[in-house]
Amino acid sequence: MAEEFNTGDMLDVYLYENTQLLEKLQDTVLDQKDADEFDEDSINEIFRAMHTIKGSSGVMMFDDITTVAHRLEDVFFFIRESHPRNVPHMELVELVLDVADFISGEMDKLSDGDQPDGDSTELVKTIEAFLEKIKGESAVKKATPEKKDEAPRNFYIAPVSSGGDNYFKIYLTYNPEVGLANIHAYKLVFALKEKAEDIMYAPDDILTNEQSADEILKNGFQILLKTKQTKEDLERIIQPGYDVQKADIYPCSEHDYQLGFDSGNDTIIEKPSIAPGDFVIADSRTPSSPKKLVKDKPKKTEKTQFISVDVSKMDQLMDLIGELVISESVVLQNPDLRVPGLVLDNFNKAAGQMTKISTDLQNVIMSMRMVPLTATFQKMNRIVFDSSRKLGKEIEFEMVGDSTEVDKNIIEHISDPLMHLVRNSVDHGIESKEERIAAGKKEKGKITLSAKNESGKVWISVTDNGGGLNRQKILAKARKNGLIEAGKPDTAFTDKEVYQFITLPGFSTNEQVTELSGRGVGMDVVVSNLQKVGGALEIDSVPGEGSTMTLKIPLTLAIIDGIVMEVANSSFVIETGSVKEFVSVTEDMMIYEPDGGESVMIRGNVFPVLRVGKWYHLKDYAERVEDGMMVIVEVDNQNFCLFVDRLVGKQEIVVKPIPDYVRKVKGLTGCTQLGDGSIALILDAANLIE
Amino acid sequence: MDELTTLQLTKFVTFKSGNETYGIKIDYVNEIIAYQEITEVPECEDYMKGLINLRGKIVPVIDVRIRFKQEPVPYTDRTCIIVIQYKQNTVGLIVEKIAEVVELAEENIIPSPSIGKADHAQNKYVYAIGKMGNEVKLLLDPDRLLNDDDFIGIEQEALEPAEVEKEA
Repeated sequence: MAEEFNTGDMLDVYLYENTQLLEKLQDTVLDQKDADEFDEDSINEIFRAMHTIKGSSGVMMFDDITTVAHRLEDVFFFIRESHPRNVPHMELVELVLDVADFISGEMDKLSDGDQPDGDSTELVKTIEAFLEKIKGESAVKKATPEKKDEAPRNFYIAPVSSGGDNYFKIYLTYNPEVGLANIHAYKLVFALKEKAEDIMYAPDDILTNEQSADEILKNGFQILLKTKQTKEDLERIIQPGYDVQKADIYPCSEHDYQLGFDSGNDTIIEKPSIAPGDFVIADSRTPSSPKKLVKDKPKKTEKTQFISVDVSKMDQLMDLIGELVISESVVLQNPDLRVPGLVLDNFNKAAGQMTKISTDLQNVIMSMRMVPLTATFQKMNRIVFDSSRKLGKEIEFEMVGDSTEVDKNIIEHISDPLMHLVRNSVDHGIESKEERIAAGKKEKGKITLSAKNESGKVWISVTDNGGGLNRQKILAKARKNGLIEAGKPDTAFTDKEVYQFITLPGFSTNEQVTELSGRGVGMDVVVSNLQKVGGALEIDSVPGEGSTMTLKIPLTLAIIDGIVMEVANSSFVIETGSVKEFVSVTEDMMIYEPDGGESVMIRGNVFPVLRVGKWYHLKDYAERVEDGMMVIVEVDNQNFCLFVDRLVGKQEIVVKPIPDYVRKVKGLTGCTQLGDGSIALILDAANLIE
Repeated sequence: MDELTTLQLTKFVTFKSGNETYGIKIDYVNEIIAYQEITEVPECEDYMKGLINLRGKIVPVIDVRIRFKQEPVPYTDRTCIIVIQYKQNTVGLIVEKIAEVVELAEENIIPSPSIGKADHAQNKYVYAIGKMGNEVKLLLDPDRLLNDDDFIGIEQEALEPAEVEKEA
């Protein structure tokens, strides 16, 4: 019958929750991959995750997922209960990851609207074999099992003699953050049904009535159960976790049972109606509880509430706020206000208040779009783990600054390039064990993924302590592929320039194409992907000591801090971060070269000059240097001057792309509206000097 | 109008450019706005006049006269911008003067005649001729109007203004 309720909503909740569980699971596992064994918390966490997945997949009738999760749960149940020694930790880690992969694979199919048709037989066999193995190995140890967890398990109610029917009243409080609590409740009822002789629950319309979710959150969920199971068995099925905040199971008499939920004279707890507050009292009466293993309170409190929003709506909101900011300045600077003698005190006061709010609004929407890099970095952790195992390399992975926040749109764009760089580092960067030993290095390689904010950009570096890039090899290869003009000597290139060759299409120094990388289609794709979001790749390497690939990406694509300037009739904006200073120069500071190039000498330094008006063939721009302004711009450690007519001011600008229909113009990366509603073009300094 | 006629009638927004009246299917037309200040984009084709800010949306505008290789005329207060939406592109067309919205019956829309060379300047943008009594509307194909793929090859010969006779 569950199939009837296999609706989109339920599936969404199922996918959302389980994806999060799996992500968390992977983190936990990878976190402890280098330990000798999982600590107790992780074992519990994995156990719980599998338990939840099993339960929800059971309701959704995804049998293969259920089976796999169930088997792995068995393994962890065994580990948790018996504490076997000699668990091959690496095997276990891989096993868990395999299971996670299998389940996420199936869930991908589900979210694409396909059927989860993966075959779990093989995996189940592996897990069972593994379980057998650790069971066998630990049999010896069983003589002195550590009982410390079992002690509190049978404490507060004498199990009613088995064989006869037991009656229980179960009160559940659901975590208010949980969506669709009714479905969670149904999940539980579904799980209990197998064990129950008879079951009643209230509210009883949980599947048909959406309001019941609120009711459950408010009043809790009650179950009356007639079963042959003992209380302990039930506790195993009903565990507080992500969804259930608190579960109270009370045995009751048959009489109570027949009275149903309205029994006023409840013998165990005297409350006809259940309010969350009452549970606290009930809890204090039973000071120690058997749920020690599953309590995970501290993590709960860190959890913030999330709501997923369609990104296009966010973009729309962003656009609207952008427009609001602009129309605000249209109002506040309205020429109608400039009447001589007009007193605007109150107006200005109100205007100030409004400006403050709109600035706040802008900041909030910006922060809404910012997400930490943590998830992206975690993904890399997995990649390092997988690919290093495949290549038989031992690699330590370190993450630094993964809480750095970046605009969501940008994260989407850098995930693939980053993955590629990390793979490259594992594959090409870190040498084989033998080579490392021969070079007198530690056997274990190390890859560091770090992120930091610098000069308005986010720098993400992938650093390895491998062999570094080989200048000679790169040059030879570049020559072979015709990337270098024939007559040019090797010495004409700096190291950095040489390293940049590897970003050219069709370049790969690795002779052997491996499974992971080496087809030479990678680095150029990395670079072009980065360029799409206005980022750049910097390569640095010390032979024998390793290399660092640094992605420099803008913090956000949406709003930048810009300097507005005018040339002829056009307005241009340049990102404030790249501007060093503004200088007014005189003719005698200018240096004209015979080939038409110009430079300017400012305080003993010579800067090449680029006249924006001339560059873009504008009409009527300032010819004399005295009439204009030099803007010293720094890009990639290169300084140069832009010559513009006038500076207008500094402004937060909302970046909009230039419509595709307009031909791409060198140096222009976008456009924006200015306060008066006119449009300014955004200059990209790096692009200009290319 | 009853249902029967709407089935057969197609609406066109017509505008004047030089001596001719051009028509563009109303389905493509988002709106018609008065001429407003245009921000030039450097290094673009001559007909690409630049960008306008249409209530927060940045829209490129092209000058239809220049696109047709006609002499540009100064913009006046009659000058309008027809904002059209074709596929993903929203583009403004600067036209001298909006004429009217006309309804043309199927049988009055005839494929544009081609004398000799099929790629004659005018036919490049005009996919059909609409007859309305004594008048002729040149119906524009937005795809050809906006896209520049076949730009090379017609080069100089297209300099003459429109030549289509004003007769039915």
